[in-house]
Order: sequence, then C-alpha cells, then structure tokens
Amino acid sequence: MEATSKEFIQQEPSVLDKKFLDWKFLEWKRSIAGQRWKQAAIATLLALLIAFSAWRCNVDLRSFVLGIDKGIPLVGMFFPPDLSSLTSMLQPLAVTVVMAMAATILGMCLSLPCALAASSNLAPPFLRLAMRAFIALERGLPEIVQLLLLIAIFGLGVVPGLVALSFSSIGMLAKLLADGIEEIEPQMLESVAGTGATRSQVIRYAVIPQILPSLFANGLFRFEFNIRAGVMLGAVGAGGIGYVMRTSMNAMDYQKACVAVILTLILVFTIERVSDFFRTRILSGGLLR
Amino acid sequence: MSIDVPVNALPSRKFKLMIVYIVAIFIVMYLLFFFLDLSPDSVFIDFRFVADLAQQMFPPNIALFWRSSLFVSLIETLSMAFLGTVCGGGIALLLAFFAATNTTPHPLVRLAVRTLLAMERSIPQLIVILVLLIAVGIGPFAGVLTLAIGSVGMYGKFFADSIEQADKAIIESVDSVGSTRLQTIRFAVLPQAMPSFVANLFYAFDHNLRAAIPLGIFGGGGIGFELEFARGLLHYKDVLAYTILIVVMITVMERISDWARRSIITQPQLVTR
Repeated sequence: MEATSKEFIQQEPSVLDKKFLDWKFLEWKRSIAGQRWKQAAIATLLALLIAFSAWRCNVDLRSFVLGIDKGIPLVGMFFPPDLSSLTSMLQPLAVTVVMAMAATILGMCLSLPCALAASSNLAPPFLRLAMRAFIALERGLPEIVQLLLLIAIFGLGVVPGLVALSFSSIGMLAKLLADGIEEIEPQMLESVAGTGATRSQVIRYAVIPQILPSLFANGLFRFEFNIRAGVMLGAVGAGGIGYVMRTSMNAMDYQKACVAVILTLILVFTIERVSDFFRTRILSGGLLR
Repeated sequence: MSIDVPVNALPSRKFKLMIVYIVAIFIVMYLLFFFLDLSPDSVFIDFRFVADLAQQMFPPNIALFWRSSLFVSLIETLSMAFLGTVCGGGIALLLAFFAATNTTPHPLVRLAVRTLLAMERSIPQLIVILVLLIAVGIGPFAGVLTLAIGSVGMYGKFFADSIEQADKAIIESVDSVGSTRLQTIRFAVLPQAMPSFVANLFYAFDHNLRAAIPLGIFGGGGIGFELEFARGLLHYKDVLAYTILIVVMITVMERISDWARRSIITQPQLVTR
C-alpha cells in the first residue's frame, strides 16, 4: 500500500494532464468571476433596499444616540419600583394568566375536530379544502387584528382577548395536528378498520392516541405564546397586566409601570420553565400513558 | 334479575378518570372566571352584535385600495419588518459566533452570551416598544428597533446551534494549513452555516411582519396604525378593507419566504459561494 502511494507521488504529470489542469483552472476562475458579479448585484440590491426602508422608517441615528442619552435618566425614573402598587397588580396578572389558559384550553378542544376535518385521510375532499382554507385564514389574520374586530363586537374587556387568542390557537394547533394526522401510516388505519370498526372508532383508537402527545406538547407551547400575546393584547384593550403597564406608562407613572414590567418578566420566565418541563416529559412519553 | 354486560363494554377506569379530569378543569376555569369578575357568558349573550357588525362592514371600502397613502403605510410596515430582520439578524450573527462551542473565544464568554440571549428571548415585545417609544419617540424607527431586539434573542440561538453543527473535519483541515481563527470561520464555518442562516432570516422576516402590525398600533406607524385609526373612527368598511389587505400581504409574503427557504435548503450552493 505504501509503495503504491510513493510511486504515485513520484510520477511526473504528463503534458496532457497539465493542459487539462490549466483548462480546469481557467474554467474555475471564470466561474468565480461570474459569481463575483452575481454577489455584487445581490449586495447592491440589498444595500438599496436597506437604504430605501431606512428612509421610509425615518431611521435617524442622531435620535438613536440622543435616545441613549435620554434613556439613561429614563431607566433611573423606573427605580425604585413602587411596591405599594404590588397588591393591586396581582388581580390583572391573574386575569392575564386565566385568559391565556382558557384560550389555550378552548383552542385545544376546538382544534381537534378542525384537524380531523382538515386531514386528507379522514375527511372528504371538499370538507378538507374548506377547513384548510379556514385554517389558512386564521393563520393569515394576526391576533391583534382579530382583537380589533372583536372589540367592535364585545367592547373592551377580557372576552374579545379570549376569543382572539383561542381563534389563533386553533389556527396554529389545527394545522400542526392535521399535518400530524396525514403522516399516520395508512396500514394503521386499515388494520383498525379491518376489524369492522366504524369511522368514529377508527378515529378513537387509531388517530387520537397518536396525536394526543403532539396536541398537549404544542398546546403547552401555545400557552407560553398566549401569555406573551395576551400581555400585548391587554395593552390594546383586553385588560390584564398589559393594560396596566400601558396606562401607567402613558400616565408617566414609571415606578408603577416598573412593578408591572417586573411581574410580567417573572411570569413569562416561570411559565417558560414550567411548560418546558412538562413538554419534555410529554414528548419522552412519561406522561399521558 | 341481573343484566349480563360484558366487562369490556363498560367505560374503563382510565376513561372515567379522564372524564373527571376534563370536567374538573372546566369547573376550575369557570370558577376562576367567576372569581376574577369576568363574564365568559357574554360570548354567547353578545353574539347578536356580530350580525350588526357584519352589516356595518359590508361591502368593504374597495376605493381605499386606490389611495396612495395606503400603499405608503403598507410599504412602511414591510420596510419595518425588513429593516428589523436585517439589523437583528446582523447582531444575532455576530453574537452567534461567541455563543457556539466551536468558535467561541472562551467557554465563559459562551455561557454569558447564551444567558443573555435566553433572557432577551423571553422579554415581551410590549415592554420593549413602550420603553423605546419614550426613548426615541413615536414613529416606525421605534418599531424597527423593537423588532431588531426581538430577533436577536431568537435567531442568535438558532444561528449558534447551526454553527455548532458544522462539520469538524472541514474545520480541522482548514486549521491544519495554518489559517488564523478568522480565516477558519470565513472558509470552513461560514460556508457550512450560511444556508441555514439565510433560511432562518426568511423565517424571521415572516415572523417580524406579523409582529410589525401590533407595534404599529402602539405608535410605530404602518398599516396597524391605520387599522386602529379607522376602528377608532368607527369606519368599519375601511377596517374590513385593511383587514383583507393585511391577510393578503401576510399570506403572500409567507408563500414567498416559504418558497425561498425551500429553494435554499434544497440548493445550498445558492448562498454558500
């Protein structure tokens, strides 16, 4: 083995090889040059796009620098937090949590039938198409837009926030579940159907056990998302801690707002840890079995 | 007289337990609502207003689509999302090299940057925009900064993970010809991680476009602001027109970025060289 490799190194390259290598090298250089042009074109396009959007968004680095100067005393105004308002914050905090929880539960319950109707191996084609269109619409409509429409119906309060969050939960969970159902192997469904099971029995014994872990894991993820989105929706008019935060910021009561900010951060951190803990346990198969 | 029922026809113990759990959850939720003075019943009681609203909304004010100010605000939202993605992605890319095990200068730096990213990821955008509105003033610039800050935490982690997945053999072979650390990053790590970066950036743009709409409502400008303004004036025909426009914009951008992402993942040479 060693001898052959030595022989190989000692071999002189023939004239033909050299010509071939030269030709290859030229070709490579040419392709590099072509790519350089393409790269330059892409870079110019990107720079133009950035410049255009910076102009449109009034990006002003001077105001940014001034903002930093202004921001430092601003941070000072947030401290010390006004701890006397802590007790009055607990109720809105609970409202945000309950809103997110109820929206998640409602969304999980409703996404199951939606997902069954939207999967190609269970539902008739027209129903599947209609359901997929509905889900696509749900996903295209940001929850804030839904909230604004719902406020027009229900007025300000938790109910429009709850409905908006559960609708957008349906959009996300039903899509994930329907994709999961479509990936179930057809043999599995056939073997249950072959024992003489009705369609509902097939769903109960072949489909539900397979998608339940995914439903709960994604539901927990959605709960985490709903808490953050709920804070945002609250500021627009769905109540809760987000509303308190925005009103106290607008009233320049920064020390009170600081308490709301700290409570929100603690809440989000805690929910993240808890849902992470349960999600890993569900996905590893410990729970739900 | 006893009726002979096969045991397996009865609901199983597990099934009964599940029913109990579900009923308990609903009762607890209802009690919580009651306790917090919220009225979930109003969902059903107030539902008749839906018909009222629908009557006020239809037909949508299509004439709005031919107004140039609409397209100005649409472009404002799009450029807010674009600029937020570019700034956030750039900062995330820089931080990612400090947060990945194979490119970090020191493990302690890695730990610090990872913690920073994790903390940043969980700050709700509402807090950031409210603080920035005071600091830099009302306008799309505050929205851009918020989106950039939001993207750094999320995509810094993704980028760092994709750097860590880079093939060790290639890094070692570039190292062995005597390249400096920066050269190794440029010629061994970057070409491997680039497709994943660009694909993630398209995803980030998609995400930021959705997030740009609520930011507009708080004073960031763009289509969200127009929507809130029209709702405040109770011009529901305009509201419906804006809503249609937003849905179309988000769906179209989602399709485009999906297509771009898929073509980058299937043909990585588009961005590596």
